Amino acid sequence: MASHETRDESVPHPRRGTQDMAAGLFLIAVALIALWQAQGLPLGTLRSMGAGMLPTALAVLLAGFGAAIFLIGALRPGAAFEKWSFRGLLFVLGAIISFALTVRLAGLIVAGPLTMLIAGAADPQTNWKHTLIFSIVLTAFCILLFKVALRLPIPVITFL
Amino acid sequence: MEQLVDNLALGFSTALSLKNIGLCFLGCLVGTLIGVLPGVGPIATIAMLLPVTFGIDPTGALIMLAGIYYGAQYGGSTTAILVNIPGEATSVVTTLDGHQMARAGRAGVALGIAAIASFIAGCIATLVIAALGEPLTKLALLFGPAEYFSLMVMGLVFAVVLARGSLPKAIAMIVVGLLLSTVGTDLETGQERLTFGIAELSDGVDFAVLAMGIFGFAEIIRNLENPETRDVVRGKIGRLLPSKDDFKQALAPILRGTGLGAILGILPGNGAVLGPFASYTLEKKITKDPSRFGRGAIEGVAGPEAANNAGAQTAFIPLLTLGIPPNAVMALMVGAMTIHGIIPGPQVVTKNPQLFWGMIASMWVGNLMLLVINLPLVGLWVRLLKVPYSLLYPAILLFCCIGIYSINNSTSDVIFTAFFGLVGYALLKFGYEPAPLLLGFVLGKLMEEKLRQALILSRGSFATFVERPVSGGLLLVAAIMLAIALLPSIRKGRDEVFTE
Repeated sequence: MASHETRDESVPHPRRGTQDMAAGLFLIAVALIALWQAQGLPLGTLRSMGAGMLPTALAVLLAGFGAAIFLIGALRPGAAFEKWSFRGLLFVLGAIISFALTVRLAGLIVAGPLTMLIAGAADPQTNWKHTLIFSIVLTAFCILLFKVALRLPIPVITFL
Repeated sequence: MEQLVDNLALGFSTALSLKNIGLCFLGCLVGTLIGVLPGVGPIATIAMLLPVTFGIDPTGALIMLAGIYYGAQYGGSTTAILVNIPGEATSVVTTLDGHQMARAGRAGVALGIAAIASFIAGCIATLVIAALGEPLTKLALLFGPAEYFSLMVMGLVFAVVLARGSLPKAIAMIVVGLLLSTVGTDLETGQERLTFGIAELSDGVDFAVLAMGIFGFAEIIRNLENPETRDVVRGKIGRLLPSKDDFKQALAPILRGTGLGAILGILPGNGAVLGPFASYTLEKKITKDPSRFGRGAIEGVAGPEAANNAGAQTAFIPLLTLGIPPNAVMALMVGAMTIHGIIPGPQVVTKNPQLFWGMIASMWVGNLMLLVINLPLVGLWVRLLKVPYSLLYPAILLFCCIGIYSINNSTSDVIFTAFFGLVGYALLKFGYEPAPLLLGFVLGKLMEEKLRQALILSRGSFATFVERPVSGGLLLVAAIMLAIALLPSIRKGRDEVFTE
């Protein structure tokens, strides 16, 4: 650790580990949410632990680790915070949620192609013609596999 | 010994029924098919294909799932050799020499030796499981809650030590996993914990939902960020069967790799992941000419592949005998077993001998299948590898959605998966490794139960974990492992192993 510190001083503008700092804050946030949810649950005693004992103990432990990781990032040079790809997040997660919203409402016949087309928007290299054709073919295949062959209770068409 | 033969006979008579052979074949085939796709590891493959096994009897379903697992594992090696993209951590090593062999026009031999090495390792590992299965089960029955708890602590410590990157971050992930496992109704008091008042959370978080979100979806978003450079081997695959000289060169590494992999695989806390690294390092150390490694040395493919497969199989031992899943894939198997009404643990072997031994025998059958399926179908895998990712990931996404929906016929599960996809992506961006989280989550419920039981028995004294000899011994091993991992010189070595 000592060697890191000396190197740190010799560099004129030491880069702080902003990734670790953010990572630590993230853990503290998770711990606080857990503590908020666990408040009011009985802790019990060690001899007979209550429902709140473990969640509370783990959340406190987590907050401790969060603080430690934050400090590691703040005091030592480290990796910088990475940029997030909001396009990927938006369309991939959007596709999954659209599946959840449409599969019961309209059935797989709509949810399948819709999910794949929304997902396609996440990648700038998507060839829309290919994705469209593939989404129809694959949906048909899924219906044959899951509904006809395996008889899973997944809705296929609900609006007719 | 005689009993072992009897048991194996029972196993083979189960595994070799026409229906089970068919299921094993189907599992291996679709497992390989999905596993070959770049960016789809065994976890995503199994979670995606889980619904396919619904409606089959438990024994058949588990045989098929095991087939899917080996198939996915082997598919990952194929991708590693042909495209230089490791499907998961254990096939990283295969890319080193396997892809170089492929570039030198020996792709066929690399694939062939990988399949043969896996088969030999699989045969030996099957025998190891059969031999150790029964005694370990008996041992497990002697375990009290304190021993169980300490064993799981040891598993978690191993997982921390074996995880890449910083130790505090790995431990923090375990804690997050444990915390997530407390979500839902408390089994003892019936009180709801950390559910945010959401009714769907009162049963807790489903493992497949968590795994698919954190591993599957987060990985897809991350792959999309880096424009892909896929280096599929062009030109001919060449002959598949290794020559006599190749085989002679590879045999000893295969056997050494099998031994290393089998031992490391039994360790709780995902020891299997270490097998291929250990085997590669060993072969490089004892060879006369280490400079060949990294340039297409056949030992560098044969040893690690054998270790990989042996470890993948012996990882079933803690699950089948103690009911403790040693890694994320096995945790998914627990989920699959529970869906079929089987609670993994020492009671399986006595209550369901047919299932236990049938599954073990089917491991051997599955390895034979892989050999038969893969060698003739290599051409198909190569063509599959040329499908661009922009076409592939929407399809993977749809399959995952159908898979998750089908597990409980629940749309809220699908939404939760999207949420965990977001969490998983955030974790990747913060430099956290998700594997320890998953293991903490899986062991969490059982650990809490055993902790409470042990503390009731000891009247609230933690000394019980140290005073009981077996429990104390396990904790000591864990403490030593952790101390070793903290030593600066070992830390450096550990980083090298994982970056090499």
